[in-house]
Amino acid sequence: MWGKSPVIKFLITLLLFLTLEVISISFISNESVFQQAKISGVVVKLRSVMDGFTSGVKYYFGLQDVNDMLVKENLRLLKENERLKTRLSPEASLSSNTSLSADYAYIPAKIIANSTNKMHNYIILNKGSSHGVKKDMGVISSVGVVGVVSAVSERYSYVISFLNINQSVSAKISTSGAFGPMVWEGRRSDYALLKEIPFHIDFMVGDTVVTSGFSTLFPPDIPLGTVRKSSVTKGSYHEIQVKLFQNFNSLHYVNIVVNNNKDELDFIQRESNGSVR
Amino acid sequence: MGRSGNIILFISFVITQIILSSLIDFGPLLFISVYPLFLLTRPANTSLNSLLLWAFAMGMVVDYFSNSIMGINSAAALVMTLFQFRILRMVSRKGDFDSQVRPGLRELGLIRFVSYLVASLLIHHIAISLAESFGMTNFIYNLPRMLISLFVNTLIIMLIEFGLFYKNWR
Repeated sequence: MWGKSPVIKFLITLLLFLTLEVISISFISNESVFQQAKISGVVVKLRSVMDGFTSGVKYYFGLQDVNDMLVKENLRLLKENERLKTRLSPEASLSSNTSLSADYAYIPAKIIANSTNKMHNYIILNKGSSHGVKKDMGVISSVGVVGVVSAVSERYSYVISFLNINQSVSAKISTSGAFGPMVWEGRRSDYALLKEIPFHIDFMVGDTVVTSGFSTLFPPDIPLGTVRKSSVTKGSYHEIQVKLFQNFNSLHYVNIVVNNNKDELDFIQRESNGSVR
Repeated sequence: MGRSGNIILFISFVITQIILSSLIDFGPLLFISVYPLFLLTRPANTSLNSLLLWAFAMGMVVDYFSNSIMGINSAAALVMTLFQFRILRMVSRKGDFDSQVRPGLRELGLIRFVSYLVASLLIHHIAISLAESFGMTNFIYNLPRMLISLFVNTLIIMLIEFGLFYKNWR
């Protein structure tokens, strides 16, 4: 009966193919739903096992304790630096009743899984909601931006790496202060593109590019890379190729950025948007 | 080779794929996919419907364990599977593959097997490239990534096929 006629057989196969293909494509466009599932169960355990398996090749064991110590030291210095900066800033000294708490706090974390060989790279960290990590927090290292937290489970968090063609970071050229979005173009893991820099801005090869601090995700003035070359697009913008300081292949420890004023800033933004409408 | 044999082979390919793709990381110009070998060497009398289901399952499992977006590998594996019998019929002699023969290196011979492999992998890689950038916009730009990966994956799959299946398959 069924499948006897070649036409019906062909139609069944076609229908099966289309159904499965549509399921796959809907998965691609609804990725965020599955990120939670990915870090809640088997994957993280398997990744930890495999990390132990491959670390013999990739990682020098004897340095682990030293690294732990350095991470703590680094964190202490970052905190101190942040506190001193707040004390120095003129706004803080103007109003005496402002508390001198730092704008940013940091949660150190270790990378469990990382990759650089895809167009959409993700990172899994060993800190989760029980350590105070929330969705949409920035992740940095001492020499650059690493990514943005996209899903959190109790003990792990899933980070959209900067090496993801959908990700962008607000950056500026430190000498002139001109800013624009910096994106990864998907070719090499140590280069990125700084876009929409106005044509009249002067800069030199070798100038440092830093975070602008205009988003609530990342603190300002984290060094990102140096200007390598530029081209003009659409006649009015520079498109600058930036050599990143960050080497994503040898990245092991990162800091998750906690913006203490994020709620307030988001609230103000919502308010102003509301009044415009 | 019964059903349990197929499942063991399936799991071995998944493990190989995950370990290789996390060990070999030379940056964004090269991605590793060796699981197509499992789909390409299903016996020639397997029905296309069950092959599509195998491809979907394989793609989903690989996607779940890889550090990327769900659905990319399964979408690509399905497209490859749709064309693979047509390619196999093109490269093999008439009447060669009506039975339960596994279309591998030993059965097809070197030149036929390599052309079968390269043609199928090319379709697979084009599909991955399209799924990743979700359209044609970056296609030319991603061409180097596709071609380098095609070359390396063909090499790795040939090594696996020659080392594991060529001699022991009797």
